[in-house]
Amino acid sequence: MALRDDFPILKRKVNGFPLIYLDNAATTQKPQVVLDAMNNYYTSSNANVHRAVHTLAGEATEGYEACRTKLKDWFNAERAVLTSGTTEAINLVAHSWGRANLIEGDVIVLTEMEHHSDIVPWQMLAEERNIELRYVPVMEDFTLDMDAYAASLDGAKLVCVVHTSNVLGVRNPMEEIIELAHSRGALVLVDAAQGVPHERINFQESGADFMAFSAHKMCGPTGIGALLIDAEVFETMQPFMGGGDMIETVTITGSTYQTDEHKFEAGTPKIAEAVGWSAALDWMSTLDLEKEHQRLVKIGSWVAEQLRSMGMAVYGRHEKNDSAVVSFNHPSIHSEDLAHLFDSRGFAVRTGHHCAQPLLNRLGISSTVRASFYLYNTMHEAELFIKQLKEITERFG
Amino acid sequence: MTYPEVLAELIEEFQDIDDKMERLEMVFDMADEVVPYPAERWDDESRILGCQSEAHVHVELDDGKVLLFAGADAKLVQGLMGILSIAVNGYAPAQVLLLSPGFAEEMGILSTLSPSRSNGFRNMFDKVMKDIRGLQ
Repeated sequence: MALRDDFPILKRKVNGFPLIYLDNAATTQKPQVVLDAMNNYYTSSNANVHRAVHTLAGEATEGYEACRTKLKDWFNAERAVLTSGTTEAINLVAHSWGRANLIEGDVIVLTEMEHHSDIVPWQMLAEERNIELRYVPVMEDFTLDMDAYAASLDGAKLVCVVHTSNVLGVRNPMEEIIELAHSRGALVLVDAAQGVPHERINFQESGADFMAFSAHKMCGPTGIGALLIDAEVFETMQPFMGGGDMIETVTITGSTYQTDEHKFEAGTPKIAEAVGWSAALDWMSTLDLEKEHQRLVKIGSWVAEQLRSMGMAVYGRHEKNDSAVVSFNHPSIHSEDLAHLFDSRGFAVRTGHHCAQPLLNRLGISSTVRASFYLYNTMHEAELFIKQLKEITERFG
Repeated sequence: MTYPEVLAELIEEFQDIDDKMERLEMVFDMADEVVPYPAERWDDESRILGCQSEAHVHVELDDGKVLLFAGADAKLVQGLMGILSIAVNGYAPAQVLLLSPGFAEEMGILSTLSPSRSNGFRNMFDKVMKDIRGLQ
Protein backbone atom coordinates (compact mmCIF):
# COMPACT_ATOMS: atom_id res chain seq x y z
CA MET A 1 0.00 0.00 0.00
CA ALA A 2 1.69 3.18 -1.25
CA LEU A 3 0.49 5.47 1.53
CA ARG A 4 1.99 3.28 4.25
CA ASP A 5 5.30 3.22 2.42
CA ASP A 6 5.63 6.95 3.14
CA PHE A 7 5.99 6.16 6.88
CA PRO A 8 9.36 4.55 7.66
CA ILE A 9 8.46 3.90 11.30
CA LEU A 10 5.74 1.44 10.24
CA LYS A 11 8.44 -0.97 9.09
CA ARG A 12 9.90 -1.41 12.57
CA LYS A 13 9.28 -4.27 14.93
CA VAL A 14 8.25 -3.96 18.57
CA ASN A 15 9.04 -6.83 20.94
CA GLY A 16 9.80 -8.95 17.90
CA PHE A 17 6.45 -8.27 16.19
CA PRO A 18 5.55 -5.87 13.37
CA LEU A 19 4.41 -2.52 14.80
CA ILE A 20 0.68 -1.90 14.58
CA TYR A 21 0.31 1.69 15.66
CA LEU A 22 -3.16 2.46 17.04
CA ASP A 23 -2.38 5.45 19.26
CA ASN A 24 -3.09 8.12 16.68
CA ALA A 25 -5.35 10.22 18.89
CA ALA A 26 -2.25 10.81 21.04
CA THR A 27 0.05 11.54 18.12
CA THR A 28 0.34 10.49 14.50
CA GLN A 29 3.40 9.19 12.68
CA LYS A 30 5.30 11.36 10.23
CA PRO A 31 5.72 10.69 6.52
CA GLN A 32 9.24 10.72 5.04
CA VAL A 33 8.61 14.12 3.40
CA VAL A 34 8.18 15.71 6.85
CA LEU A 35 11.36 14.10 8.17
CA ASP A 36 13.22 15.20 5.02
CA ALA A 37 11.91 18.76 5.20
CA MET A 38 13.06 19.19 8.81
CA ASN A 39 16.38 17.53 8.11
CA ASN A 40 16.94 19.68 5.01
CA TYR A 41 16.08 22.80 6.95
CA TYR A 42 18.69 22.07 9.62
CA THR A 43 21.17 20.83 7.03
CA SER A 44 21.02 23.78 4.67
CA SER A 45 18.88 26.71 5.86
CA ASN A 46 19.07 26.91 9.66
CA ALA A 47 19.04 30.53 10.89
CA ASN A 48 16.87 32.74 13.06
CA VAL A 49 13.85 34.40 11.49
CA HIS A 50 12.62 37.94 10.79
CA ARG A 51 15.80 39.90 11.54
CA ALA A 52 19.09 39.26 9.79
CA VAL A 53 19.58 40.15 6.12
CA HIS A 54 21.73 37.17 5.19
CA THR A 55 20.53 34.46 2.83
CA LEU A 56 19.98 31.75 5.42
CA ALA A 57 17.85 34.08 7.56
CA GLY A 58 15.76 34.85 4.50
CA GLU A 59 15.25 31.15 3.75
CA ALA A 60 14.37 30.39 7.37
CA THR A 61 11.87 33.27 7.46
CA GLU A 62 10.28 32.13 4.21
CA GLY A 63 10.05 28.58 5.52
CA TYR A 64 8.44 29.69 8.76
CA GLU A 65 5.98 32.11 7.20
CA ALA A 66 5.08 29.62 4.46
CA CYS A 67 3.56 27.45 7.19
CA ARG A 68 1.30 30.30 8.30
CA THR A 69 0.24 30.95 4.70
CA LYS A 70 -0.55 27.26 4.15
CA LEU A 71 -2.59 27.14 7.36
CA LYS A 72 -4.59 30.20 6.31
CA ASP A 73 -5.28 28.58 2.95
CA TRP A 74 -6.07 25.16 4.41
CA PHE A 75 -8.49 26.53 7.01
CA ASN A 76 -9.66 29.69 5.24
CA ALA A 77 -8.52 31.89 8.13
CA GLU A 78 -7.35 35.47 8.17
CA ARG A 79 -5.27 35.18 11.32
CA ALA A 80 -3.15 32.17 12.28
CA VAL A 81 -0.89 32.41 15.32
CA LEU A 82 1.75 29.69 15.56
CA THR A 83 1.92 28.23 19.06
CA SER A 84 3.57 25.22 20.67
CA GLY A 85 0.31 23.30 20.33
CA THR A 86 -3.35 23.21 21.30
CA THR A 87 -2.65 23.74 24.99
CA GLU A 88 -0.63 26.91 24.47
CA ALA A 89 -3.21 28.17 21.99
CA ILE A 90 -6.01 27.83 24.57
CA ASN A 91 -3.86 29.37 27.29
CA LEU A 92 -3.15 32.26 24.93
CA VAL A 93 -6.88 32.98 24.65
CA ALA A 94 -7.31 32.69 28.43
CA HIS A 95 -4.44 35.10 29.09
CA SER A 96 -4.94 37.60 26.30
CA TRP A 97 -8.64 37.70 25.53
CA GLY A 98 -9.87 36.30 28.85
CA ARG A 99 -8.01 38.67 31.12
CA ALA A 100 -9.00 41.68 29.01
CA ASN A 101 -12.67 40.81 28.68
CA LEU A 102 -13.85 38.76 31.65
CA ILE A 103 -14.65 40.14 35.06
CA GLU A 104 -16.12 38.85 38.29
CA GLY A 105 -19.48 37.16 37.80
CA ASP A 106 -19.00 36.47 34.07
CA VAL A 107 -19.77 32.99 32.78
CA ILE A 108 -17.74 30.56 30.66
CA VAL A 109 -19.51 27.49 29.31
CA LEU A 110 -17.46 24.31 29.00
CA THR A 111 -18.51 20.71 28.44
CA GLU A 112 -17.84 17.50 30.34
CA MET A 113 -16.28 16.21 27.13
CA GLU A 114 -13.31 18.59 27.23
CA HIS A 115 -9.68 17.55 27.36
CA HIS A 116 -7.90 18.89 30.46
CA SER A 117 -6.20 21.48 28.23
CA ASP A 118 -9.60 23.10 27.68
CA ILE A 119 -10.57 22.93 31.36
CA VAL A 120 -7.56 23.80 33.49
CA PRO A 121 -6.73 27.20 31.90
CA TRP A 122 -10.35 28.26 32.52
CA GLN A 123 -10.33 26.98 36.08
CA MET A 124 -7.19 29.02 36.73
CA LEU A 125 -8.81 32.12 35.23
CA ALA A 126 -12.06 31.47 37.10
CA GLU A 127 -10.24 31.28 40.39
CA GLU A 128 -8.32 34.45 39.68
CA ARG A 129 -11.33 36.46 38.49
CA ASN A 130 -14.18 34.79 40.33
CA ILE A 131 -15.74 33.68 37.06
CA GLU A 132 -18.48 31.07 36.91
CA LEU A 133 -17.79 27.89 34.92
CA ARG A 134 -20.76 25.88 33.66
CA TYR A 135 -20.31 22.38 32.29
CA VAL A 136 -22.64 20.95 29.66
CA PRO A 137 -23.35 17.31 30.61
CA VAL A 138 -22.63 14.32 28.40
CA MET A 139 -25.67 12.07 28.00
CA GLU A 140 -25.92 8.29 27.98
CA ASP A 141 -25.69 8.21 24.19
CA PHE A 142 -22.27 9.92 24.51
CA THR A 143 -23.51 13.23 23.04
CA LEU A 144 -23.80 16.64 24.65
CA ASP A 145 -27.05 17.58 26.28
CA MET A 146 -28.02 20.37 23.88
CA ASP A 147 -31.01 21.49 25.97
CA ALA A 148 -28.71 21.95 28.95
CA TYR A 149 -26.29 23.76 26.65
CA ALA A 150 -28.96 26.23 25.53
CA ALA A 151 -29.97 26.81 29.14
CA SER A 152 -26.37 27.36 30.21
CA LEU A 153 -25.88 30.28 27.85
CA ASP A 154 -27.60 32.87 30.03
CA GLY A 155 -24.98 35.52 30.71
CA ALA A 156 -22.21 33.51 29.02
CA LYS A 157 -19.35 35.46 27.50
CA LEU A 158 -17.43 32.49 26.12
CA VAL A 159 -18.17 28.91 25.09
CA CYS A 160 -15.26 26.47 24.97
CA VAL A 161 -16.07 23.24 23.22
CA VAL A 162 -14.21 20.26 21.88
CA HIS A 163 -14.84 19.63 18.17
CA THR A 164 -14.28 15.86 18.44
CA SER A 165 -13.78 13.95 21.68
CA ASN A 166 -10.37 12.32 22.13
CA VAL A 167 -12.01 9.56 24.19
CA LEU A 168 -15.32 8.92 22.43
CA GLY A 169 -14.54 10.00 18.89
CA VAL A 170 -17.88 11.83 18.98
CA ARG A 171 -17.97 14.86 16.69
CA ASN A 172 -20.05 17.57 18.32
CA PRO A 173 -22.66 19.60 16.37
CA MET A 174 -20.32 22.58 16.04
CA GLU A 175 -22.52 24.51 13.63
CA GLU A 176 -25.47 24.46 16.06
CA ILE A 177 -23.26 25.16 19.08
CA ILE A 178 -21.62 28.18 17.45
CA GLU A 179 -24.85 29.61 16.07
CA LEU A 180 -26.59 29.33 19.42
CA ALA A 181 -23.66 30.88 21.31
CA HIS A 182 -23.50 33.84 18.92
CA SER A 183 -27.25 34.39 19.10
CA ARG A 184 -26.79 34.77 22.86
CA GLY A 185 -23.78 37.08 22.56
CA ALA A 186 -21.03 34.62 23.52
CA LEU A 187 -17.81 34.00 21.62
CA VAL A 188 -16.77 30.42 20.83
CA LEU A 189 -13.43 28.70 21.21
CA VAL A 190 -13.18 25.34 19.45
CA ASP A 191 -10.63 22.77 20.58
CA ALA A 192 -10.11 21.12 17.22
CA ALA A 193 -7.09 18.98 18.10
CA GLN A 194 -9.00 15.79 17.21
CA GLY A 195 -11.11 17.42 14.51
CA VAL A 196 -8.53 18.77 12.07
CA PRO A 197 -6.87 15.40 11.42
CA HIS A 198 -10.17 14.06 10.08
CA GLU A 199 -12.04 16.98 8.64
CA ARG A 200 -11.13 19.89 6.39
CA ILE A 201 -12.60 22.69 8.54
CA ASN A 202 -13.43 26.06 6.98
CA PHE A 203 -12.72 28.41 9.89
CA GLN A 204 -14.47 31.52 8.58
CA GLU A 205 -17.52 29.57 7.47
CA SER A 206 -17.69 27.80 10.83
CA GLY A 207 -18.18 31.14 12.55
CA ALA A 208 -15.89 30.18 15.43
CA ASP A 209 -13.96 32.99 17.07
CA PHE A 210 -10.99 30.87 18.12
CA MET A 211 -9.82 27.47 16.98
CA ALA A 212 -6.89 25.62 18.50
CA PHE A 213 -5.09 22.52 17.20
CA SER A 214 -1.72 20.77 16.98
CA ALA A 215 0.44 19.70 14.05
CA HIS A 216 1.45 16.36 15.47
CA LYS A 217 -2.05 14.91 15.28
CA MET A 218 -2.07 15.46 11.51
CA CYS A 219 1.28 13.96 10.49
CA GLY A 220 3.27 17.08 11.41
CA PRO A 221 5.96 17.47 14.07
CA THR A 222 5.42 17.79 17.81
CA GLY A 223 6.00 21.18 19.45
CA ILE A 224 3.94 23.29 17.07
CA GLY A 225 0.28 24.12 16.72
CA ALA A 226 -1.92 27.03 15.83
CA LEU A 227 -4.59 29.34 17.07
CA LEU A 228 -6.91 30.70 14.41
CA ILE A 229 -8.60 33.91 15.47
CA ASP A 230 -11.48 35.80 13.93
CA ALA A 231 -10.02 38.97 12.34
CA GLU A 232 -12.17 41.40 14.33
CA VAL A 233 -11.53 39.66 17.64
CA PHE A 234 -7.83 39.55 16.80
CA GLU A 235 -7.66 43.35 16.65
CA THR A 236 -8.95 43.64 20.20
CA MET A 237 -6.32 41.31 21.66
CA GLN A 238 -3.08 42.35 23.31
CA PRO A 239 0.07 40.23 23.73
CA PHE A 240 0.39 38.12 26.85
CA MET A 241 4.02 37.09 26.51
CA GLY A 242 6.71 39.71 26.07
CA GLY A 243 10.12 39.33 24.42
CA GLY A 244 11.94 39.50 21.12
CA ASP A 245 10.14 39.34 17.78
CA MET A 246 6.80 40.58 19.12
CA ILE A 247 7.81 44.24 19.47
CA GLU A 248 7.99 47.22 17.13
CA THR A 249 10.18 49.43 19.34
CA VAL A 250 11.68 49.06 22.78
CA THR A 251 13.03 51.93 24.86
CA ILE A 252 13.89 51.99 28.54
CA THR A 253 10.58 53.72 29.19
CA GLY A 254 8.36 51.29 27.29
CA SER A 255 7.65 49.24 24.19
CA THR A 256 5.26 49.13 21.28
CA TYR A 257 4.10 45.85 19.83
CA GLN A 258 3.68 44.31 16.42
CA THR A 259 0.12 44.41 15.16
CA ASP A 260 0.01 41.15 13.21
CA GLU A 261 0.32 37.55 14.48
CA HIS A 262 3.90 38.20 15.60
CA LYS A 263 2.55 40.05 18.63
CA PHE A 264 1.73 36.59 20.03
CA GLU A 265 4.95 34.90 18.98
CA ALA A 266 7.57 36.24 21.39
CA GLY A 267 11.03 34.71 21.18
CA THR A 268 12.59 32.48 18.57
CA PRO A 269 9.70 30.46 17.16
CA LYS A 270 9.45 26.78 16.11
CA ILE A 271 11.09 27.19 12.73
CA ALA A 272 12.02 23.61 11.81
CA GLU A 273 8.66 22.47 13.12
CA ALA A 274 6.86 25.00 10.91
CA VAL A 275 8.83 23.75 7.92
CA GLY A 276 7.87 20.18 8.85
CA TRP A 277 4.21 21.10 9.28
CA SER A 278 4.17 22.72 5.84
CA ALA A 279 5.47 19.49 4.36
CA ALA A 280 2.77 17.55 6.24
CA LEU A 281 0.05 19.85 4.89
CA ASP A 282 1.43 19.47 1.37
CA TRP A 283 1.45 15.70 1.80
CA MET A 284 -2.09 15.65 3.19
CA SER A 285 -3.37 17.84 0.39
CA THR A 286 -2.54 15.05 -2.06
CA LEU A 287 -5.10 12.83 -0.31
CA ASP A 288 -8.86 12.65 -0.58
CA LEU A 289 -9.32 13.32 3.15
CA GLU A 290 -13.07 12.80 3.09
CA LYS A 291 -12.74 9.43 1.42
CA GLU A 292 -9.99 8.43 3.85
CA HIS A 293 -12.17 9.54 6.74
CA GLN A 294 -15.05 7.39 5.54
CA ARG A 295 -12.69 4.42 5.29
CA LEU A 296 -11.39 5.02 8.83
CA VAL A 297 -14.84 5.45 10.35
CA LYS A 298 -15.84 2.17 8.74
CA ILE A 299 -12.84 0.51 10.42
CA GLY A 300 -13.67 2.20 13.75
CA SER A 301 -17.32 1.16 13.71
CA TRP A 302 -16.38 -2.42 12.70
CA VAL A 303 -13.93 -2.63 15.61
CA ALA A 304 -16.52 -1.20 18.01
CA GLU A 305 -19.08 -3.76 16.82
CA GLN A 306 -16.61 -6.63 17.23
CA LEU A 307 -15.69 -5.45 20.71
CA ARG A 308 -19.33 -5.26 21.76
CA SER A 309 -19.95 -8.76 20.44
CA MET A 310 -17.03 -9.95 22.58
CA GLY A 311 -18.61 -8.47 25.70
CA MET A 312 -16.47 -5.35 25.97
CA ALA A 313 -17.91 -2.07 27.24
CA VAL A 314 -17.49 0.35 24.32
CA TYR A 315 -17.71 4.11 24.80
CA GLY A 316 -18.81 6.00 21.71
CA ARG A 317 -21.31 5.76 18.87
CA HIS A 318 -18.99 5.70 15.78
CA GLU A 319 -21.22 7.50 13.33
CA LYS A 320 -20.14 8.87 9.98
CA ASN A 321 -18.79 12.23 11.17
CA ASP A 322 -17.07 10.83 14.26
CA SER A 323 -13.38 10.02 14.35
CA ALA A 324 -12.00 6.49 14.27
CA VAL A 325 -11.36 6.38 18.01
CA VAL A 326 -12.55 3.31 19.90
CA SER A 327 -12.41 3.38 23.71
CA PHE A 328 -13.35 0.26 25.59
CA ASN A 329 -12.90 -1.82 28.71
CA HIS A 330 -12.50 -5.55 29.04
CA PRO A 331 -14.89 -7.26 31.46
CA SER A 332 -12.09 -9.01 33.39
CA ILE A 333 -8.70 -7.62 32.31
CA HIS A 334 -7.66 -4.21 33.65
CA SER A 335 -6.98 -1.62 30.96
CA GLU A 336 -3.34 -1.21 32.08
CA ASP A 337 -2.74 -4.95 31.88
CA LEU A 338 -4.43 -5.16 28.51
CA ALA A 339 -2.31 -2.37 27.04
CA HIS A 340 0.88 -4.11 28.24
CA LEU A 341 -0.28 -7.39 26.72
CA PHE A 342 -1.04 -5.69 23.41
CA ASP A 343 2.39 -4.05 23.47
CA SER A 344 4.02 -7.45 23.93
CA ARG A 345 2.67 -8.35 20.48
CA GLY A 346 3.59 -5.06 18.76
CA PHE A 347 0.28 -3.20 19.14
CA ALA A 348 0.49 0.41 20.38
CA VAL A 349 -2.74 1.39 22.15
CA ARG A 350 -3.37 3.99 24.80
CA THR A 351 -4.64 3.40 28.29
CA GLY A 352 -5.59 5.68 31.18
CA HIS A 353 -7.92 8.64 31.59
CA HIS A 354 -6.80 10.30 28.34
CA CYS A 355 -6.56 13.71 30.07
CA ALA A 356 -10.35 13.78 30.25
CA GLN A 357 -11.11 12.88 33.86
CA PRO A 358 -14.44 14.76 34.09
CA LEU A 359 -15.71 12.76 31.10
CA LEU A 360 -14.54 9.47 32.59
CA ASN A 361 -16.16 10.42 35.89
CA ARG A 362 -19.40 11.00 34.04
CA LEU A 363 -19.04 7.56 32.43
CA GLY A 364 -18.37 6.08 35.87
CA ILE A 365 -14.95 4.68 34.98
CA SER A 366 -11.35 5.62 35.74
CA SER A 367 -9.64 4.45 32.55
CA THR A 368 -10.16 2.84 29.15
CA VAL A 369 -8.10 1.18 26.47
CA ARG A 370 -8.19 3.34 23.36
CA ALA A 371 -7.44 2.23 19.82
CA SER A 372 -7.36 5.12 17.38
CA PHE A 373 -6.92 4.70 13.64
CA TYR A 374 -5.41 7.06 11.10
CA LEU A 375 -4.55 7.37 7.43
CA TYR A 376 -1.97 4.56 7.29
CA ASN A 377 -4.02 2.03 9.27
CA THR A 378 -5.74 -0.75 7.38
CA MET A 379 -8.71 -3.05 7.86
CA HIS A 380 -6.22 -5.90 8.05
CA GLU A 381 -4.62 -4.26 11.10
CA ALA A 382 -8.05 -3.88 12.70
CA GLU A 383 -8.68 -7.59 12.12
CA LEU A 384 -5.30 -8.45 13.67
CA PHE A 385 -6.19 -6.25 16.64
CA ILE A 386 -9.44 -8.12 17.26
CA LYS A 387 -7.71 -11.47 16.72
CA GLN A 388 -5.05 -10.48 19.27
CA LEU A 389 -7.70 -9.45 21.78
CA LYS A 390 -9.39 -12.85 21.37
CA GLU A 391 -6.07 -14.59 22.04
CA ILE A 392 -5.39 -12.42 25.09
CA THR A 393 -8.90 -13.07 26.41
CA GLU A 394 -8.49 -16.82 26.00
CA ARG A 395 -5.17 -16.78 27.83
CA PHE A 396 -5.75 -14.13 30.50
CA GLY A 397 -9.48 -13.38 30.63
CA MET B 1 24.35 -8.03 45.76
CA THR B 2 23.41 -11.41 47.16
CA TYR B 3 19.71 -12.08 47.54
CA PRO B 4 17.75 -14.50 49.71
CA GLU B 5 17.62 -17.86 47.93
CA VAL B 6 13.98 -17.66 46.95
CA LEU B 7 14.50 -14.25 45.35
CA ALA B 8 17.69 -15.37 43.58
CA GLU B 9 15.76 -18.29 42.07
CA LEU B 10 13.01 -15.97 40.93
CA ILE B 11 15.51 -13.63 39.27
CA GLU B 12 16.94 -16.60 37.38
CA GLU B 13 13.50 -17.77 36.29
CA PHE B 14 12.65 -14.34 34.93
CA GLN B 15 15.98 -14.04 33.14
CA ASP B 16 15.23 -17.24 31.23
CA ILE B 17 12.16 -15.74 29.58
CA ASP B 18 12.60 -13.90 26.27
CA ASP B 19 9.00 -13.39 25.25
CA LYS B 20 7.44 -10.27 26.75
CA MET B 21 3.95 -11.74 27.01
CA GLU B 22 5.31 -14.73 28.90
CA ARG B 23 7.18 -12.42 31.24
CA LEU B 24 4.00 -10.43 31.84
CA GLU B 25 2.16 -13.67 32.50
CA MET B 26 4.73 -14.61 35.08
CA VAL B 27 4.42 -11.20 36.77
CA PHE B 28 0.62 -11.66 36.78
CA ASP B 29 1.11 -15.04 38.46
CA MET B 30 3.10 -13.33 41.21
CA ALA B 31 -0.10 -11.50 42.20
CA ASP B 32 -1.00 -14.63 44.18
CA GLU B 33 1.97 -13.99 46.46
CA VAL B 34 0.43 -10.82 47.85
CA VAL B 35 -1.03 -10.70 51.33
CA PRO B 36 -4.17 -8.77 50.38
CA TYR B 37 -4.78 -5.28 51.63
CA PRO B 38 -8.55 -4.88 51.19
CA ALA B 39 -9.80 -1.97 49.10
CA GLU B 40 -11.92 -0.64 51.97
CA ARG B 41 -8.70 0.09 53.89
CA TRP B 42 -7.07 1.98 51.00
CA ASP B 43 -6.41 5.61 51.92
CA ASP B 44 -4.00 8.41 51.15
CA GLU B 45 -1.49 7.00 53.59
CA SER B 46 -1.37 3.63 51.86
CA ARG B 47 -1.46 5.01 48.30
CA ILE B 48 1.62 4.67 46.10
CA LEU B 49 2.03 7.95 44.32
CA GLY B 50 3.05 7.97 40.68
CA CYS B 51 1.27 4.74 39.79
CA GLN B 52 -1.08 4.99 36.81
CA SER B 53 -3.61 2.78 38.57
CA GLU B 54 -4.72 2.47 42.18
CA ALA B 55 -1.98 0.83 44.24
CA HIS B 56 -1.78 0.59 48.03
CA VAL B 57 0.65 -0.94 50.52
CA HIS B 58 0.73 -1.32 54.28
CA VAL B 59 3.59 -2.72 56.33
CA GLU B 60 3.49 -4.36 59.77
CA LEU B 61 5.92 -6.31 61.88
CA ASP B 62 4.87 -9.86 62.66
CA ASP B 63 7.01 -11.32 65.42
CA GLY B 64 9.74 -8.84 64.50
CA LYS B 65 9.62 -9.79 60.79
CA VAL B 66 8.30 -7.68 57.92
CA LEU B 67 4.79 -8.39 56.66
CA LEU B 68 3.72 -6.47 53.56
CA PHE B 69 0.04 -6.09 52.73
CA ALA B 70 -0.72 -4.86 49.24
CA GLY B 71 -3.52 -4.27 46.78
CA ALA B 72 -3.93 -2.82 43.29
CA ASP B 73 -6.58 -2.75 40.60
CA ALA B 74 -4.21 -3.77 37.80
CA LYS B 75 -2.87 -7.31 37.90
CA LEU B 76 0.53 -6.23 36.65
CA VAL B 77 0.92 -3.89 39.63
CA GLN B 78 -0.38 -6.57 41.99
CA GLY B 79 2.19 -8.95 40.48
CA LEU B 80 5.01 -6.49 41.10
CA MET B 81 3.74 -6.25 44.66
CA GLY B 82 3.89 -10.03 44.88
CA ILE B 83 7.54 -10.01 43.79
CA LEU B 84 8.31 -7.35 46.37
CA SER B 85 6.46 -9.43 48.99
CA ILE B 86 8.73 -12.40 48.25
CA ALA B 87 11.72 -10.10 48.68
CA VAL B 88 10.65 -8.65 52.05
CA ASN B 89 8.14 -10.87 53.85
CA GLY B 90 9.48 -12.87 56.76
CA TYR B 91 12.80 -11.04 56.96
CA ALA B 92 14.07 -8.74 59.68
CA PRO B 93 13.70 -5.04 58.86
CA ALA B 94 17.46 -4.50 59.02
CA GLN B 95 17.97 -7.21 56.39
CA VAL B 96 15.18 -5.88 54.15
CA LEU B 97 16.58 -2.37 54.27
CA LEU B 98 19.76 -3.63 52.59
CA LEU B 99 17.74 -4.40 49.43
CA SER B 100 17.94 -2.13 46.42
CA PRO B 101 15.38 -2.06 43.56
CA GLY B 102 18.17 -3.51 41.40
CA PHE B 103 16.67 -7.00 41.74
CA ALA B 104 13.74 -5.96 39.56
CA GLU B 105 16.15 -4.72 36.90
CA GLU B 106 18.04 -8.00 37.06
CA MET B 107 14.79 -9.83 36.48
CA GLY B 108 14.23 -7.75 33.35
CA ILE B 109 10.78 -6.71 34.54
CA LEU B 110 11.51 -2.98 34.55
CA SER B 111 12.52 -3.06 30.89
CA THR B 112 9.19 -4.79 30.24
CA LEU B 113 7.41 -1.71 31.53
CA SER B 114 7.16 1.78 30.12
CA PRO B 115 9.22 4.44 31.99
CA SER B 116 6.17 5.77 33.85
CA ARG B 117 5.26 2.27 35.04
CA SER B 118 8.79 1.36 36.09
CA ASN B 119 8.88 4.63 38.05
CA GLY B 120 5.74 3.36 39.73
CA PHE B 121 7.61 0.24 40.82
CA ARG B 122 10.45 2.38 42.23
CA ASN B 123 7.90 4.50 44.08
CA MET B 124 6.38 1.32 45.48
CA PHE B 125 9.80 0.07 46.58
CA ASP B 126 10.73 3.43 48.14
CA LYS B 127 7.43 3.67 50.01
CA VAL B 128 7.73 0.15 51.42
CA MET B 129 11.29 0.85 52.56
CA LYS B 130 10.26 4.15 54.11
CA ASP B 131 7.34 2.52 55.93
CA ILE B 132 9.65 -0.23 57.24
CA ARG B 133 12.10 2.37 58.51
CA GLY B 134 9.15 4.03 60.26
CA LEU B 135 8.41 0.80 62.14
CA GLN B 136 11.87 0.53 63.64
